[in-house]
Amino acid sequence: MEPDPKRRKGMEYDSWDVVPVLSDEQSQDLKLLDAYAAPIMEKRETSRLVKELATSFPLPDLQHIKRVRACKDKNTSHPLEVIVCLASDVPDQECKGRTGPTLSDLLCSQTFDPRGLGEPFLVQIPASAPLTRPQFERASKHWPTSFHEDKQITSALKGQLFSSSEKAKMQEHMMEAIEAARSGHTLGMDAVGAVVVDPQTGQRLAVAHDCRRGTHPLHHAVMVCVDLVAASQGGGAYQYEKYPACRYYVPDPQVTTSHMDVSALESHSTSDKAKENGQSYICTGYDLYVTREPCVMCAMALVHSRINRVFYGAATADGALGSRYKIHCQKDLNHHFEVYKGVMPQACEELLDSK
Amino acid sequence: MRSQSGEEPAGFLQPSDSEVQGWMDRAFHMAKDALENGEVPVGCLMVFKAEIVGKGRNEVNETKNATRHAEMVALDQVLEWCHLRERDVKEVFKHTVLYVTVEPCIMCAAALRLLNIPLVVYGCKNDRFGGCGSVLDISSDDLPHTGTYFKCISGHRAEEAVEMLKMFYKQENPNAPKPKVRKDSISPAGGSIVPMIQAASDDKDGAKTALSD
Ligand SMILES: [Zn+2]
Ligand SMILES: [Zn+2]
Repeated sequence: MEPDPKRRKGMEYDSWDVVPVLSDEQSQDLKLLDAYAAPIMEKRETSRLVKELATSFPLPDLQHIKRVRACKDKNTSHPLEVIVCLASDVPDQECKGRTGPTLSDLLCSQTFDPRGLGEPFLVQIPASAPLTRPQFERASKHWPTSFHEDKQITSALKGQLFSSSEKAKMQEHMMEAIEAARSGHTLGMDAVGAVVVDPQTGQRLAVAHDCRRGTHPLHHAVMVCVDLVAASQGGGAYQYEKYPACRYYVPDPQVTTSHMDVSALESHSTSDKAKENGQSYICTGYDLYVTREPCVMCAMALVHSRINRVFYGAATADGALGSRYKIHCQKDLNHHFEVYKGVMPQACEELLDSK
Repeated sequence: MRSQSGEEPAGFLQPSDSEVQGWMDRAFHMAKDALENGEVPVGCLMVFKAEIVGKGRNEVNETKNATRHAEMVALDQVLEWCHLRERDVKEVFKHTVLYVTVEPCIMCAAALRLLNIPLVVYGCKNDRFGGCGSVLDISSDDLPHTGTYFKCISGHRAEEAVEMLKMFYKQENPNAPKPKVRKDSISPAGGSIVPMIQAASDDKDGAKTALSD
């Protein structure tokens, strides 16, 4: 044990970035579709052409695509370009043995007045709407799209979602989880720790370490923490008297929302509503801090418990909140939550190596 | 099924069809009992060498712990059984079969993997939470750090299992509109059950048709 762990390198909250764990749809590159665009040579024909194209070649699954774009090169004779149709709309034989279809090839089966339209050229357009700013920026390089920006995701991706005082709070909670992991380790347990916090009051509700090498093979730190939260609410299935570092706190009703930490305002309004409706689950509105990425069992236990957010330090190979699965945004599941990784990563990774 | 499912762990004897039927009848009996007592109608038992070593019923409400599914409760009983008889836990789990009326959820499927249960026999699919192919396939995915894969036998008295859960919804919430549920699959949650709205379909073998609500 180091005399003062806080002074070790990597322990300062400005030395790490909280990284949001987004869904595949949000983090992958957008797929691209081949399409034919054509220059609009006579600007006054634009609205007629757009209307007729929309009738002849509707793009119902591509609502995000702007049909017309301004020409990037200001020196060209035509200021605008328009999507004529998708390459998949063009029968195969049209293009065979040539450089590409002509305008009359594209329009052959249509009663269409091509006045004002130039010869087509191939472009790539994003197949789906961008969900994040990086996706939007990449998509826009191909063809203009509309984008309904989620400001929270944008600032999370820039590492600006949490203020330095919020990060200081996060660090306090994660330090508590690390301390629990170390206590467990001295008892022969795997060095994993977890803490459940009510972000509305800043109060810690439960602290646990892994106990799988002790009394129960399924007592991973997260499972113990969930059961301790249940115990703090008058339930709970197990006793942990062998492990004094595993403990719960009965929330102090005197502590009000003025002590709020880690910007939980918005998420809480929904959980309060849920509680009023009598739909409360034990972890509704609460945050979990855990030193390493939870396994499938623990991640799904957090879905069942309706956790609000999860913050973890180190990733794991079979991890279910980003590495192997993304249970927190798994389609078909009835509860989704935000996940952030990279909280005190060095200290948490050191725990992984402790034998 | 993966090619993996062909091999069994050393020394594990796959139960015969009539054994499977007999244990599933017991599980259904438990589910019926639960229904009659106003509890979640899921029957679940763990069998080690022709002996019941664990039985479980959903204990989410009394423990306020949303992870206390019938399977988790039954696994605890197996641990207790081993403890009392001073049996090697790992050895016992390696030869224990789970019989359950509804497909285990993702969490329970992972727990079964972590304890190296070799075989799970279940009734109907669980479209909302199922971890043996319905939502995720935790039973057979390649997860080198999460125990071992297990084999599943599904579809046993599936319609009956769904029927019981439908009846449970009705008595839980008599004012709720009658849900249309697939005949062979159902969506049990922990403490409170949310029925899936779905046009009835007639496939009997528990196809993995995606649900949309
Ligand atoms: Zn776990
Ligand atoms: Zn379960």
